[in-house]
Amino acid sequence: MTAIRVPAGARLGGAWRILADEAGKGLQLMWQRRAMLVVAAAAQGFTYLMIEFLIGGGRLDHAVLALTLPAYFAFSLAGTAAMQGSGGIAEEVNAGTLEQSHLSPARPTLLMAGRLAALATEGLLPAAVVTAAFWAGYGVRYQVRPDVLLPLLLTIIDALAYALLMAALTLRVASIGAVVHVFNMAIMFFAGMFVPVTIFPHGVEIFARLIPTTLGVLTINSALAGRPLSAAWADGTLPWLLAHVAVLSALAWATYLHTLRRARREGGLSPR
Amino acid sequence: MTRFLVSLGGEVRKGLLFAWSERLQILLELPFFALFILLLGPLAGAGHQIASGRVSWTLHSGRTSLLLLAFVPGLVFYFQAVKLFWRLLAEIQSGTLEQVYLSPLPSWLVAAAGRLVAALAETILVVAAIYAIISAFVPLHYAWTPAALVPAAALVVTGVGYSLIIGGMTLVWKRIQMLQEGFLLLVLVFAVAALPVIEVPGWFAGLGRLFPVTSAVASLSGVLIDRRPVGVAWGTGGLVWLAVTAVAYLAAGILVFRAGARAARTRGTLARY
Repeated sequence: MTAIRVPAGARLGGAWRILADEAGKGLQLMWQRRAMLVVAAAAQGFTYLMIEFLIGGGRLDHAVLALTLPAYFAFSLAGTAAMQGSGGIAEEVNAGTLEQSHLSPARPTLLMAGRLAALATEGLLPAAVVTAAFWAGYGVRYQVRPDVLLPLLLTIIDALAYALLMAALTLRVASIGAVVHVFNMAIMFFAGMFVPVTIFPHGVEIFARLIPTTLGVLTINSALAGRPLSAAWADGTLPWLLAHVAVLSALAWATYLHTLRRARREGGLSPR
Repeated sequence: MTRFLVSLGGEVRKGLLFAWSERLQILLELPFFALFILLLGPLAGAGHQIASGRVSWTLHSGRTSLLLLAFVPGLVFYFQAVKLFWRLLAEIQSGTLEQVYLSPLPSWLVAAAGRLVAALAETILVVAAIYAIISAFVPLHYAWTPAALVPAAALVVTGVGYSLIIGGMTLVWKRIQMLQEGFLLLVLVFAVAALPVIEVPGWFAGLGRLFPVTSAVASLSGVLIDRRPVGVAWGTGGLVWLAVTAVAYLAAGILVFRAGARAARTRGTLARY
């Protein structure tokens, strides 16, 4: 048998095409569910306002709103990506189509990267629109400088790593759907969407810093308050954020590859 | 009648088996729920303190007792509606939901009853554990009386109706998990707002009345904390509003579920889509 080696350039082009196809597939599915996405984003935003109303004792405290709005953005992105990512994998497992996608010669990491790109779009769109609406609507004052871009990017990666971890666990844990709701609530409460984590008792604050997006929100809040990134570096928030992003991303990818290998071996890519 | 009971028993057994398979998840949820209730007490209505960066983390027995009451309906709804939603979705995706129509029971009864006993068992277990955990930090005071079973029963009926509404929407729109999560959180927010924890404006209280648990929570609080008789007819926690909410949600749930099932059967989307 003669094997023809594919030129490196063509391999790279093929990889990009596979990535783009996966992302495109996810975006098409998102477009089909656009009405539900809009309603869900509105419900999520309304819930945030009602929570702040409760915390404010029957009124919206703009100072608290300014401190928690970045956390709302992070929660909305992480929650949506995790829920839709986990729901998408569960749907494909139940329908038996996940097996088919893994007949592809592409690496599973490439397929998942394409899926994550679509999930990022699906999470970022409503999160950005609702956050911008509240920011403008309530006249929240921030000092927006380029310094905020780095923690914002790291927070987005952290949120997507969490979504990947949940998607990976879908292949292993039967009731992952309901579990994701609980984890999402944990992010909502401990990552600063109710109240800034800095006001928690010390022990709880340390625990909260381990929750996905918490450190990112702390660094974003610091930058939006006009402090330079060097201040976040000096107080340890930024280094811990970098470490959190690296560890959570590595854990998520490793879990995904492990659960996928196990599912392939035990026939878990289709309904059990 | 025998076939009816055998079918119903089968569904209840299936629900309990599913619940048992999810026991690990309950262990994950317990510490989070307990910590959430403990921390929420000092935070509710503390907007000024939060803005100034100083919150008094004193645990008040009365406030924590009230918040636990608000949390119980959230758990009933979580175990009944959230799990019904995911199970229904999995059955649609794997194509087994069509088999429900081979049963002599109405489809809405199969969907709701299969989950109900499991949801109640899970709720009782989790609430007892949370009660024990919270009691270790702060004493909880309730005037235990059988009269509390009246709002509790209304709450369960309302929860069934609410879960059927979510179920009916699932049959038509399938992946509504984000919407479902948003609704559940709103239910919790308005459950807390129904209690004398914070002062809320009239429009907020009025909006809260439309939410399924508000009247049941107000009634539970009246009976278990304020030692009021359960027979008071009027007001947010009164018998009339309690009964109207329960009946209205159950009726709406049955109607929405049947309409959703009819739409899905007509489109041929009961199995996959």
